[in-house]
Amino acid sequence: MKEFLMLIREDANYGELSAEEMQACIEKHYRWVETLREKGQFKEAQPLEAGGAHIRGKQRIVSDGPFLEGKECVSGYYILLAESLEEAIEIAKGNPDLDWDRAVEVREIMPMED
Amino acid sequence: MDTSGQLAAHFFREHSGRMVASLARVYGMTHLDTILDAVQDTFETAVTNWRYHGPPDHPRAWLSQVARNKLINALKRQARHSHATEAEAPLLALSTTDPDPVLADEAPTDGQIQLLVACCHPVLSERDRILITLHILCGFGVPELANALQLNQEAVKKALQRCKALLRQKSPKLGQYSLAAAAQQLPTVCTILYLLFNEGYKATRNSKGIDFDLCYEALRLAKLVRPVATPEAEVDALLALMFFGVARFPARLAAYGDWIPLEEQDRSLWNTALIAEGFHYLDQAKRSGYAGRYYLEALIASLHCAAPHFAATDWKTIHDLYQLLENIEPASTLIRLNRLIAQSYAQGPLPVITELATFTVDGSPGAAFLLAATKGHVYQRAGHAAQARAAYEEALHLAQNPLDSQLIRKRMEATIL
Repeated sequence: MKEFLMLIREDANYGELSAEEMQACIEKHYRWVETLREKGQFKEAQPLEAGGAHIRGKQRIVSDGPFLEGKECVSGYYILLAESLEEAIEIAKGNPDLDWDRAVEVREIMPMED
Repeated sequence: MDTSGQLAAHFFREHSGRMVASLARVYGMTHLDTILDAVQDTFETAVTNWRYHGPPDHPRAWLSQVARNKLINALKRQARHSHATEAEAPLLALSTTDPDPVLADEAPTDGQIQLLVACCHPVLSERDRILITLHILCGFGVPELANALQLNQEAVKKALQRCKALLRQKSPKLGQYSLAAAAQQLPTVCTILYLLFNEGYKATRNSKGIDFDLCYEALRLAKLVRPVATPEAEVDALLALMFFGVARFPARLAAYGDWIPLEEQDRSLWNTALIAEGFHYLDQAKRSGYAGRYYLEALIASLHCAAPHFAATDWKTIHDLYQLLENIEPASTLIRLNRLIAQSYAQGPLPVITELATFTVDGSPGAAFLLAATKGHVYQRAGHAAQARAAYEEALHLAQNPLDSQLIRKRMEATIL
């Protein structure tokens, strides 16, 4: 079993979502993670705070977010368990975030060589 | 929350009104905009967080705490920018670690009733009262409001701004509506809830026919005010009327329906549990000893619900009840049309044709449609095919939505045969 990092990228602006839609978003995620757990495909997941800092180069130049040129930024991550990248991609396609037009990025975590 | 991690249906929407009410009670309606922002912001934080971890063990407490902290921080920021008045200083001195006045608010229901009364302030137009009630007490956002009331989003935004400005001005303190004073205002509130329910029920907007959300919220708010209402507000009768209405939703949809095709409805689709609920509230209304408009309407609805099939409908009594309603509301086109329909079944179509022929309605395209459709139906049953066709043609021009057109076309086909 390999581990995959799934990054959630989104425009951190829910201004247009109503209370009802926000609740639906939470519930869909909850149900989805439950099915991943049952299949043994879920290791962990964490949201990220909107604030933070960007530190660059030898000069240690510190700048505040946002962290991308575009309006999207990484809002959280999952560690998925799958046999292959293909399987991880199939799992990631089930992420309800995609229903709200967010983007996810799936990358295999390189295992430590024995 | 139960162990399955599921939130109650509409939990956010309902809790939104509850939080706004509690915060407005403590911090004052003058901060309404900041309060609404803080509540919206709280839900956004919840989405960010709960999406990953599921809801916390005590979602209500979590939301209340976060909303209050966000509000205090926002008010402190504002106070730094514009010198806070002395009156506000004690509130701002509250630290976010002090006991939470929102959680400690033992009467969140009272706060919501007071807020509802404020939202139904007569200085606002009826349409504005519906808008601001849905926005503040039911957590409806701008796109939802625009969709539900068929307005464009800019118009909704402007209306909300206007309403909020008036609320700040007219109801600076929710405490001014003691519960006794609020109870005095409940007849006005009930009118708005009745209109809100009808907005959902009359189905002029979308092809799905009935907007369940609006009806659901009207029912919820009517239940909310029930404990403090006086008999004149007729809350029990209104609840009975609403339950008899929602009980028939599935059959109405299946029959492309409105009130004419009651004839065609499959009554086995009526929800008997909801009908029983309707009879429960009708009984309560009877005990109150006050028979107003809603009571008469609920009685009519109960007679329809009690009839096992269309032919068994007690049209004689329904006709008499509509006549009583007509005495209360002589200007209502809808009541007069319904009385004529009841009469056409109680006495046969011929006696009402003369009155229908001279019946005119002013302005409203909805009323004109109903009149034309009724004429068509009565002529059709009297065997006057040509007049029926002409009336149906007119109705088709006046149709308000695809369901209306579909219904008229079906009736026209039946006329040819």
